[in-house]
Amino acid sequence: MANNRFLAKFMGLVAVGALALTACGGDPAGGEGTEEGQATSGDLTTVGFVAVGPEGAWRQANEANIQETFTEDAGFELKYAPAANLDQKSQIDAFTSFVDEGVDVILLSATEGSGWEDSLTRAQEAEIPVILIDRGIEPDNTDLYVTRIAPDNIEVSSAVANWAIEEFPEGANYFVLEGPAGVSVVNERNEGWDAVIGEAEGFNKLGAQTANWSTEEAKSVFETVLKSNNNDVQMVFAQNDEMGLGAVQAVEEAGLVPGEDVKIATIDGTKNALQALADGKLSFVAEYNPLFGETALDVVNKTLAGESVDSYIIVPSLTFDSPEAAEEALPDRKF
Amino acid sequence: MSDNGTGPAGFLKEVVRRQYFWGVVAIVLLLLVNLTKDPSYLSIGWNDANGALVGNLVDILRAAAPIMMISIGMCLVIATSGIDLSVGSVMVIAGAVSMQFLAAAPNTFAGAMAALGLALLVSAVVGLVNGILVSVVGLQPFISTLIMMLAGRGIAKVITGGQNTSAVNDSFRWIANGYLFGLPVVFLLALAIVVLVGLLVRRSALGLMIEAIGMDPQAARLAGVNRRGLLLAVYSISGLLSGVAGVFATASVMTVDISRTGYQLEMDAILAVVIGGTSLAGGKFNLTGATVGALLIATLDKTVVFLGVSSSATPAFKAVVIVVLCLIQSDRVRQLLRSRRTTGSRPSRKEAVAA
Repeated sequence: MANNRFLAKFMGLVAVGALALTACGGDPAGGEGTEEGQATSGDLTTVGFVAVGPEGAWRQANEANIQETFTEDAGFELKYAPAANLDQKSQIDAFTSFVDEGVDVILLSATEGSGWEDSLTRAQEAEIPVILIDRGIEPDNTDLYVTRIAPDNIEVSSAVANWAIEEFPEGANYFVLEGPAGVSVVNERNEGWDAVIGEAEGFNKLGAQTANWSTEEAKSVFETVLKSNNNDVQMVFAQNDEMGLGAVQAVEEAGLVPGEDVKIATIDGTKNALQALADGKLSFVAEYNPLFGETALDVVNKTLAGESVDSYIIVPSLTFDSPEAAEEALPDRKF
Repeated sequence: MSDNGTGPAGFLKEVVRRQYFWGVVAIVLLLLVNLTKDPSYLSIGWNDANGALVGNLVDILRAAAPIMMISIGMCLVIATSGIDLSVGSVMVIAGAVSMQFLAAAPNTFAGAMAALGLALLVSAVVGLVNGILVSVVGLQPFISTLIMMLAGRGIAKVITGGQNTSAVNDSFRWIANGYLFGLPVVFLLALAIVVLVGLLVRRSALGLMIEAIGMDPQAARLAGVNRRGLLLAVYSISGLLSGVAGVFATASVMTVDISRTGYQLEMDAILAVVIGGTSLAGGKFNLTGATVGALLIATLDKTVVFLGVSSSATPAFKAVVIVVLCLIQSDRVRQLLRSRRTTGSRPSRKEAVAA
């Protein structure tokens, strides 16, 4: 009966996919997923992908990349199951159906870290290897899954801090624009930054405020921060691109020059941010690389062949510290 | 009524009785708190480059503009004993429509006007759909606008294809970032719209009829008030004003953020209305109060940042300010305080409160 439920869900997914197709004039990723799901071929490796679904540009690039990697040509049949409204229950249902169906491998991007023990144990009993994509689980019991493939937030934010130390040998007054309080990404990005910048001399933290990942809020927050510090801010660490771009506008409104009076560093590396870096408005962009389908493919093949892999595979991320570097990367930017 | 016209003291008593008086007091207090942190907080400078006043107060006015718009719309809807939870989602729809249009349109004044017109049209239509659901279909306002609140963000995602679209258009940008006579255009526009809506409802019988259907729909119907038409109009106006707010919000950064633009602003709008002394039970409304409420929320938001309240404590800080304000406004609490004081020297204490 679980199969029936899955089928019903799947039909829903097809309908949604069709809707998305008509609405946005063709989204290759969605179309591909549904086609492959319908084809049933014996000699293909079936991969169940319990995904997050629509969340933003980063996630879209990440999941489209996975879908483009695990193609039939590469010998895979990928079953893509995005969560309904980021709901963990819908993910657990999809996960269970994959186990019942007996897929060969499950890829999991959990919307929430906790509450996965039972499902993972079931997969283990059915001898289906599980590979975590991007998001980790809580508590982090490495016996329950093969490996986690993700870029490392701490490493990425340390890279920003190292750049800051190099850029300001004398130190600087800086401000941090954070994501929503309490989210693990925010904590990790703070941890990496604080660990490095805390060692350096002369850096004075003026404060940190959340701007909820939003350009508009970041602009509003930073215009007030500039006023309360009489424009004496040399550096901004924005924990995502959107907030960095908001800070740029606040700096311009205040009659200062971004990149000269106030240097702004961001994390993510989206197209818009690289464009701003190329225009000299941002000073540093650290990528949080979403494109690791190839790594995942490699890990899946190794796992199925019985080879052992590390329990945490860090995806290498680039950093861009000059307009030239940004211009070079812009044409091939996928997100 | 006997207090009326008995000199300045009577006038003062009359003012204190207004519910939004405490909103004004709260704004002044917050500004004083900021002033103690930085004595130059209230100073206003002049920027020769763009002919504009600069200062924290100007920032507050600018931040208040979108909240004023949604509060005014919400105020009218609440007066009909309804509620409009979709204001934030209509904001994001308006933002998505205008940004998606401008991304393809040329950077001209005509392009900006077309985007503005299109965005406002779409918002008014969404408001109209709310109105139809409430008045024709007869759904509860809470449910119909809740549906629109959830659907709206989805519609915005479809419009932009799931992206945060940004665009370049100098005229459109001017709406939110420009200055006229040294004041931010966005605030002047908002103020003009508030005055316009105020005249519309208070200089005609419209306001009375809105209050009538909020007080007792049966009696209003017997008195010949066209309930259906009025509800359609009120919800459309609310949608339209939310659209204006959405344009203000997105034009300020020329980017629509489909998951954040207007997010949870329906709460701010409801708060502003309540602070302004409009009862959620419907039947009466106070546009001046809603405007004061919107200004208070903007002041509060800016104060949190200016004082450097930590991110995790921000919601708690805001909640405390608002709870205290609501307590002061509550008649029962005021009566309690007064009855305790009757044992002391009554008249002088009362004067102290009034001052």
